[in-house]
Amino acid sequence: MVTMNRVARMLNGLFLILCAFAALFPMLNVLAVSFSSSRSILAGEVFLWPVEFNIQAFAKHFESGLLFTAMRNTIIITVVGTFLQMLATTLTAYSLSKKRLRGRSFFLLMILFTMLFGGGLIPMFLLLRNLHILDTFWAIWLPGLVSVYNLFVMKSFFEGLPKEIEESATIDGANDPMILWKVVLPLSKPILAALSLFYAVGLWNVYAQALYFLTSSNLMPLMVRLYQLIQVNALDSMLDNSELNLVQPESIKASAIIISVLPILCVYPFLQKYFVKGVLLGSVKG
Amino acid sequence: MKRIGSSLWRDISRDKYLYLFLMPGLIFFVLFKYAPLYGEIIAFKDFRIMDGIWGSEWAGLKHFDRLFNDRDFWIILRNTLLLNLYSILFVFPAPIVLALLLNEVRSHWFKRSLQNMLYLPHFISWVVLGGVIISILSPSTGLVNIVLSKVFGIEPIYFMASPFWWPIVFTLSSIWQTAGWGTILYLAAMGNIDPQLYEAAKIDGASKLRQIFHVTLPGIRGTIAILLILQMGKVMDVGFEQVFNLQNSAVFSVADVISTYVYRMGLLGAQYSYATAVGLFQGIIGLILVLLVNKAIKSMGEGGLW
Repeated sequence: MVTMNRVARMLNGLFLILCAFAALFPMLNVLAVSFSSSRSILAGEVFLWPVEFNIQAFAKHFESGLLFTAMRNTIIITVVGTFLQMLATTLTAYSLSKKRLRGRSFFLLMILFTMLFGGGLIPMFLLLRNLHILDTFWAIWLPGLVSVYNLFVMKSFFEGLPKEIEESATIDGANDPMILWKVVLPLSKPILAALSLFYAVGLWNVYAQALYFLTSSNLMPLMVRLYQLIQVNALDSMLDNSELNLVQPESIKASAIIISVLPILCVYPFLQKYFVKGVLLGSVKG
Repeated sequence: MKRIGSSLWRDISRDKYLYLFLMPGLIFFVLFKYAPLYGEIIAFKDFRIMDGIWGSEWAGLKHFDRLFNDRDFWIILRNTLLLNLYSILFVFPAPIVLALLLNEVRSHWFKRSLQNMLYLPHFISWVVLGGVIISILSPSTGLVNIVLSKVFGIEPIYFMASPFWWPIVFTLSSIWQTAGWGTILYLAAMGNIDPQLYEAAKIDGASKLRQIFHVTLPGIRGTIAILLILQMGKVMDVGFEQVFNLQNSAVFSVADVISTYVYRMGLLGAQYSYATAVGLFQGIIGLILVLLVNKAIKSMGEGGLW
């Protein structure tokens, strides 16, 4: 019986290792391809390790600079957008966490309803058009300013903070902005970190909204440029035909993918615990 | 009356900063969540940009008429429902199974490392995931076809261009992205199960498998129910980015869904009223489904969403 259980546990462990490997494997293959020679890619020799290691594909991207203009746009979108989203989410969540607020349940109901039914793509497009913010970054920042889910996560976190600290601050004559800034926010670092990361990842990966609402190519974020590179074969702008033999398009695509996910891969191991914390805090009240 | 009025005023002036804080959020919800609902009326009009939403001519149910008589629409509706059916059958249970397996891992360090690896695809955009999938499934240079031909001597399979393979690739790609991250809530629910239940089951001689079926699964029933309702609410909605990044014209017959259709008709084709009608139809069916499923699950004795 005991040995049976041990065998089962080992099999379970092995199976899970296989699953984890399967989750990472496609990315690792693309990483290997990005550093491999065109000959080896075409010959099907590349698995998990680069064959005939070279960085030509990456050099091409640095030369053309297209990917980096797009990355600059994405960095602006992510940094400014995360700040705006966190500002609006925090202020709204703080107000709604106060049970004494008149009209609170009306506001909450009004916000919850938007989770069930939303205006479609075309009405949003026409609204942005009427506001004259189509083809600006505002068309990315504003329609997704507050995520209802994140708002409720933060609200329930604020509600869970000990009341006594705020009360004593009130007695000392602090008003709401001072309490929020000096008392509540310093106690809320984990949740602020988690939600900032959720927002930032969402903005870094922004794609559909840019496709819908941006038209100028100099505003295109990274993911749109990447899509063009991967799918539409917009390679001709980057490569002379004579060079096509030197650098195989597959490695150009693969290296573009690697450049695009590198920032996420770099921060991921360090911030992973915050992500999980964010999900769990949110699930408390569902 | 006067006293109530003055106490209301006193409360508002006491909380003036809170109302001020609330403003950006409220303006956002009114402007970007409620105002577009007004725009939905163009589904019943012949919208022309010059005339504006209100100024355009009423068209009655013309666009819905066209919708229900359009063969393309029924194909797209069928694809949307089928892809979601596959999701409910195969993608939804994946994190439950994975969480059950992870829950049996004793070593804390080992469990953590596995989780770190399994969560990662959740943070990668569909553009990248789609690119990676297309790359490893490529008939000429893709790893999968290379292995198939070198090891099994099979001719290259055009996975992404085959109406048979595409839905399978789509479903597997959903599992790839969501299964790991989806375990978090289930693992948390499993952590909340009273250990005494397991002790009692062991004393009664229940095997590990029976413990899973009679203790663990009942313990996470509520979580499963809530996530199932949320999943059902999306039955009319296949995420745009995933489909768009995996689809190509060779597989439109199985891969075109409502969201991609609305984008093509509405934004690329400028058929604003028709696309809005499609979107409105989708939204209303989705809303009805959530309400129905929520009710059904409540009547089965689970908590439901509200």
